[in-house]
Amino acid sequence: MSGSFYSNSTFVAIVILAIVLLLIAALMVWVLRHITSILKENTDVEVEPSFYERTIKPKMDSWNPTIVTLLVIGGLVGVLFVYGYDYGWTEIGVQQGYAPDQPINFPHDKHAGAMGIDCQYCHTTAGKSKHASIPSANTCMNCHKGAQLRDNYGGKVSPELMKLYTSVGFDPETSSYDEDAETYPIKWVRIHNLPDLAYFNHSQHVTVGNVECQTCHGPIEEMAKVEQFSTLQMGWCVNCHRQRGIDVKNNKYYEDVHKEMKANKEHYVTVAQNGGLECSKCHY
Amino acid sequence: MSNSENKYWRGIEELEANPATLENVSNEFSDKLPMEEILGDSEELSSNRRDFLKFFGFSVSAVALAACNKTPVKYAMPYINKPEEVTPGQALYYATTCGVHNEGFPVMAKVREGRPIKLDGNPNSPLSQGAMSAAGQASILSLYDVNRLPHPKIDGEDEEDWKNVDKKVNSILAGAAGKPVYVVSRTVTSPILKASIEKFMEAHNATHVVYDPISYSGITKANQESFGQAVIPSYNFDKADVIVSFGADFLGTWISPTKFTADYSKNRVPTPEKPEMSKHYQIESLLSLTGTNADYRYSIPASKQGKYLVSLYNMLSSGSGELELPGNALKQIAAELKAANGRALVVCGSNDKNDQVIVNAINDLLGSYGNTINLSASMNLSDYDEAAFESFVSKAGSAGAIVMLGANPVYSYNNGTKLVAALAKVPVISTAMVVDESSNGAAVHAPTNHTLESWDVYQPMNGHYVTSQPVISKVFNTRSAAESLRAWAGEDIAMGDDQASHQWVVDYLKGLGVDANKALHDGFVDQTPSASSATFAGSVSAASSAINANYKASTGFDLALYQKVGILDGNSALNPWCHELPDPVTKVTYDNYVSISRHDAETNEWEQGDIVKVSANGVEIDALPLMIQPGQARGVIGIALGYGRNVQTTLDNDLVDLGKNAYPFVQSSATGTNYMVQNVTIEKVDSGYEFAQTQTHHMIEGRDYLREATIDEYKENNAVRNEHKFETVSLWSDYDYSKGHHWAMAIDMNACTGCGSCVVSCHIENNVPVVGRTEVRRRRDMHWLRIDRYYSFEADADETASVRVGPSNVDQDFKKGEWSTKENELAGLDKVSKKGDKDFGHYDSVKVVHQPVMCQHCDHAPCETVCPVLATTHSSEGLNQMTYNRCIGTKYCGNNCPYKVRRFNWFRYNKNSKFDYHFNNELGRMVLNPDVTVRSRGVMEKCSFCVQNIQMAKLNAKIENRKVKDGDAQTACAKACPSNAIVFGDRNDPNSRIAKMFKNDRSYKMLEEVGTDPSVLYLTKIRNRKEEVQHS
Repeated sequence: MSGSFYSNSTFVAIVILAIVLLLIAALMVWVLRHITSILKENTDVEVEPSFYERTIKPKMDSWNPTIVTLLVIGGLVGVLFVYGYDYGWTEIGVQQGYAPDQPINFPHDKHAGAMGIDCQYCHTTAGKSKHASIPSANTCMNCHKGAQLRDNYGGKVSPELMKLYTSVGFDPETSSYDEDAETYPIKWVRIHNLPDLAYFNHSQHVTVGNVECQTCHGPIEEMAKVEQFSTLQMGWCVNCHRQRGIDVKNNKYYEDVHKEMKANKEHYVTVAQNGGLECSKCHY
Repeated sequence: MSNSENKYWRGIEELEANPATLENVSNEFSDKLPMEEILGDSEELSSNRRDFLKFFGFSVSAVALAACNKTPVKYAMPYINKPEEVTPGQALYYATTCGVHNEGFPVMAKVREGRPIKLDGNPNSPLSQGAMSAAGQASILSLYDVNRLPHPKIDGEDEEDWKNVDKKVNSILAGAAGKPVYVVSRTVTSPILKASIEKFMEAHNATHVVYDPISYSGITKANQESFGQAVIPSYNFDKADVIVSFGADFLGTWISPTKFTADYSKNRVPTPEKPEMSKHYQIESLLSLTGTNADYRYSIPASKQGKYLVSLYNMLSSGSGELELPGNALKQIAAELKAANGRALVVCGSNDKNDQVIVNAINDLLGSYGNTINLSASMNLSDYDEAAFESFVSKAGSAGAIVMLGANPVYSYNNGTKLVAALAKVPVISTAMVVDESSNGAAVHAPTNHTLESWDVYQPMNGHYVTSQPVISKVFNTRSAAESLRAWAGEDIAMGDDQASHQWVVDYLKGLGVDANKALHDGFVDQTPSASSATFAGSVSAASSAINANYKASTGFDLALYQKVGILDGNSALNPWCHELPDPVTKVTYDNYVSISRHDAETNEWEQGDIVKVSANGVEIDALPLMIQPGQARGVIGIALGYGRNVQTTLDNDLVDLGKNAYPFVQSSATGTNYMVQNVTIEKVDSGYEFAQTQTHHMIEGRDYLREATIDEYKENNAVRNEHKFETVSLWSDYDYSKGHHWAMAIDMNACTGCGSCVVSCHIENNVPVVGRTEVRRRRDMHWLRIDRYYSFEADADETASVRVGPSNVDQDFKKGEWSTKENELAGLDKVSKKGDKDFGHYDSVKVVHQPVMCQHCDHAPCETVCPVLATTHSSEGLNQMTYNRCIGTKYCGNNCPYKVRRFNWFRYNKNSKFDYHFNNELGRMVLNPDVTVRSRGVMEKCSFCVQNIQMAKLNAKIENRKVKDGDAQTACAKACPSNAIVFGDRNDPNSRIAKMFKNDRSYKMLEEVGTDPSVLYLTKIRNRKEEVQHS
């Protein structure tokens, strides 16, 4: 499936238009043949059998019309199904593989990969809040005030980085902020979009559940351009909740659960067993 | 053994088995589709099978086409410089103020990503005690009001630059040379604004005039006379064992209702250790919210109130008085007041100085001063002096300039038209946030900030300073009135960015000798002086002879003008939450009306919904609907103030032109303001008005939902009315809830006053849509939490003995095969009303119970078993979960719910011009709680026990590596409740308050016998009264 947002409505319009044109063409062929047959009857002129009549028609006459019809319909349904599946998938908000262009071509592979910067250095609230949050521009400036990436651009500042400098009103030549410059936030394109009806909290997963960022977001440290790694469908959430265990030992909140496990000589309790599949854990 | 003697009913239509009401009861989701409107009634147009196929085909293709939208691209915009304290997704709480009852009510504002979304009472201040009134909670919407002026205006033209505004004001003031300049404000409790006004007065030789729509001058003048202190004292209802209120609605609208409710309820809950509670007598003409909570209530004509006060005084001092209440009650009251030995309190809602002098004399006799009344910690509620204002009105026309500082006398002054004529001649400078009646046509509009955008200090109570800090950056180009006044006084300070205001606040707090940062953090500084005793120096004889001289028998009706709990003086006219909240007593939404006693209505052959013309003293209201109100005194009609506002608005909804303005009836002169009018005539002009009244929505058809007993019965048996325990048999294999959490709620009906604060709180917290008057009429209100109000007659035990009312005769009735059949109950109800009293005397005095009802989170929930798509399910924590995205809207669950708490979402209420309330504009939507889904049409919704807060509490505990503490998870209703009637928590936590409630003998579950096993407990209502009829 394509990662970008092609316009589905345009595509649908083209398909409908093509079908209508085909139908009109078929009608015209039928009318033409009808007219020729009438002409033939009326004029009684012997006409040389055409290529179609000589070679194709006898073969076609030998085919079973029911099977042919079924095959054609089957083929059409198949095509429509494949299209519809793909269409419906994106329509309900499944955007796995979605990798939109960002206002600044930010390379995660350099930062998280090559540099090995911890995810939460920039996404500071992932462990504290519902949102992992995109870092504010001043976080970028912590490093990029100094790291101006001039090596690959013949001594000039990287044009991508220049966008950051402009947004915060920073002059790389003097390495100082221009107090009078108009600053503006960077308008990043959101990749992971949950529907409003689902409540997701990062801190629950990052801090309490000790889930690695990569579990859901994939090998971010290798992505030059970030794409949506998981489906973010409910089934995907639920599967994980069914498999993953809770670290009951190291959190006093789960003290009672831990005691009971010990009493029952159990060693593993999944999120699901602790009520993690119940509707109002995520929907309210 | 006696059962609950009372037969409860919600309205006369239910009592008399009105056919329309009965039909409504049997058709829960009443309205048929308005096919006639769409198709007309022609035969040809009725649809047949082919039409069905056409519609079907059309809808399929329409849906297919409508689905052809590409998923929108969403953006995420981070800060440029993230403020240190902000964590996106986490709420911050700031102590600040709101200005509804008294200016400077201490609140905690919940702020998400820079916008306040909820106000709760400041838990530590004695004024709020963590709670907040319905109107106060709703006031947050005035911040996001689209009617607010976005920037200043000069001569009607928009102006962005405040310097030009100042220039224009200065030129007006310069042109006023020689003529008087007035500053008209409401009572100012902010010392900072006061200082600014003084600077302005000095600079322009101006006069400050205070105008309040509701006057308390009777009290201040009486205290001046009695004690030499022109103050409104603070009353301590928690210290009173006997409370007598003459028409003072102190739980609803009088002086400081939130504080009074909190105090009052402290002494209203008997426990096995201390089976005592205060005794409350209410003697009034209209049935007020306070009256509904009284142990004994007597209706008297409003005009005789003063004479009753004198009689009570005489009984206390000399043992006999002129007037008496039925059953020699006044004598009894006098005896009990004396016996209370200083723990007594008499209050009076009258604004007549003489009445209040008598009240002071009574309280002095009882030794209340220094105990239940504190003159030192006076309430700075009103400095309104009628004489000063009248003199302003007479001279206003010749003034050089008038600064309207938030006062709106054109609307609420009884001679507003005279004032309009005067104002038309004078350049008016207004600081109002919206264009109201008084600033309509002002030369300069210099809109002030909203309280939530301002730095300020208020002193609502003597010695109690409440701080205000901005919790949002300014929404519009506004400037605080204090700064504006200083600018116009010629001071050269940094204006507009609040630097100056902040500095004034810090300086002022330093002046009080406190740490400014700590004070701003706490939200208040408490230096309240302790109560001192006072010596009464007034003249009782002068006051009582004045009362006797002023009393004239009325030739028509007495008109009592009152305030409604949600609307108050009418300041929040365009706040939909205030209007969607049903009146606590009548359960009417949106309208004001003429309330009348049953007797008077029957005598004049008037019916509920008749439209009447009311006239008195040359003032007239041409059409108001008539509302028959049980419990109302004969010869008295009541009309609520605060309606008929005329605010400039772009909205097109039910709040525009709502009700009729009753302020012109107010008797105001230089000597005082009186809200009681005599010699009123009523004339029926039309009939058939349909109220948007919720009282007969979701009737529970006479089943066992209420339990009440007297204090004596309680002393004998703590489990009175709850002795009968039902044996339940379950069809399902039971789930073990003993592990983990088991959330539950308890509602103490002894503490609950029915004030409606929880209803509004729930609305705000859970993004409940406002549906408007028409939809309420169709019984489609969306309240997740409603307060049922039941009436019962004073002594009807004998007549109703045959009607099944309590749980104790269930067994017998069940054997007789008569249990819970609808016909039986309604026949019984009918019988009560036909008990032969053509005088309708039994309607003069009714007992009232308020019962908040929300989803009961039944552990055997009937709704869950009937949902065909499993959209409503049960959680292991005992929650009845509602999953909107699964719901297909069959409404089976709502049908099967015995408590009628599920609400069907009939329309998309957001982005829908038919419902032009705050859901439909960008600004209004800022108040939405981002943690709760905004539901779309076609789904069921209901109380979730504020599961978002439960989840947050659990998560915080996990992050902090601890267990959930009692009180971590709170529902919005429990937080808002001024009387702490609602307790929420984890019943599996043995130390929680809720676990103790489950052990309380007073607790019962509603409709226990149907075996739903609810998670909500109710605590039997105990009344401090002798039961008049005991039958075996």
